[in-house]
Amino acid sequence: MRERSYQALSLMAIAAIAVGFTVATTVPPERVQGEFAKIMFVHVPSAWLAFLAFGVTMIGGAAWLIRKTPIWDRVAAASAEVGVFYTALALMTGMIWGYPVWGTFWDWSDARMMSTAIMFFVYVGYLALRRSIPDPETRARRSAILGIVAFVQVPLVYFSVTLFRTLHQGTTVVRPDAPIDPEFLRALMINLAAFTVVYAAFMTWRTRLARLEDELEETEAVADFEIAGSGITAPNLEEAPDHV
Amino acid sequence: MQYKWFVLPAIGVIVLVLGFMMFGGLGDNLIYYLTPTEAVDQHVDFPDGERFRLGGLVTEGTVETTSGGVTFIVTDGDRSITVVHTGAPPQLFRENIGVVVEGAWVGDRFESDTLIINHDEEYRSEEDGTYVPPTGTSG
Repeated sequence: MRERSYQALSLMAIAAIAVGFTVATTVPPERVQGEFAKIMFVHVPSAWLAFLAFGVTMIGGAAWLIRKTPIWDRVAAASAEVGVFYTALALMTGMIWGYPVWGTFWDWSDARMMSTAIMFFVYVGYLALRRSIPDPETRARRSAILGIVAFVQVPLVYFSVTLFRTLHQGTTVVRPDAPIDPEFLRALMINLAAFTVVYAAFMTWRTRLARLEDELEETEAVADFEIAGSGITAPNLEEAPDHV
Repeated sequence: MQYKWFVLPAIGVIVLVLGFMMFGGLGDNLIYYLTPTEAVDQHVDFPDGERFRLGGLVTEGTVETTSGGVTFIVTDGDRSITVVHTGAPPQLFRENIGVVVEGAWVGDRFESDTLIINHDEEYRSEEDGTYVPPTGTSG
């Protein structure tokens, strides 16, 4: 991709967020929550995009194990990083919303909150794992396995509100009678689209950066080799010192 | 080697945390709260002073402000329990809203010191129709 395309994608992401934000502010106050309900337009797309991102990490890992091409490892790594960002955003907006609406930032025994927090730390662990292995192939293989295994958490987090009795509310959108008014749903979908564009922009930039990092690593490896070789000089036996 | 020292403890910690969540101290709390019906049925398991969480709907017309807090009747549509709460309720507290209170039985009343709103999954604009409160029994 040319530099222009990267810049265009970034501008699109900024424009999408601007549109999403504008639409969100035009939605009327919610009957019970009032203006607090608007946090949903950041919170819900963040959580969904985190699920998507970790799904891409799993697919990238599986594709690497089959194909062994570096691009899949880079995609998996970039997506995990973006996923961690979106998970953090979902956790933070949830806490900001929870304080005025529930009356508490956090609940240690809520299945949705605890499972999301564990998912967050497992993927932070995935990123730490990547940094702990210097050999690219070993790193790709081990993180692919972790990326696939860690994905089991995503359905667990998603269904936590259905499986357990929680403080966190249940499913709103993905159910037949979706108890949400059309103006809220419309704004939610527009923001979901905007967050998806941002995800695409993050992914494009991050995989490009990963490729550049890999190239630099290779160049450095070659450079190291040359310096190591040039440090050794053969003894000059032809010109014996005069004073012997 | 480097890898083993990092990953094995990490997996260990994850397994411990998950195990703790499922079977440990949080085991009872996976039933996040008891409904009024469950609380009445299991009254013998929770003698006075034994703390648990009670969740349900604030019955219309039962909210009374007291000097130390608020009293109201919480219901699941089947059984109702009088809650005596000490402390200021959250700002969204009102009639017909889901609440979770934490405290213990004192005779037939439930004395609580923690009150949180268990908000439902509905999103309705203010001008739109009537508010149908949650039953307080769903997950």
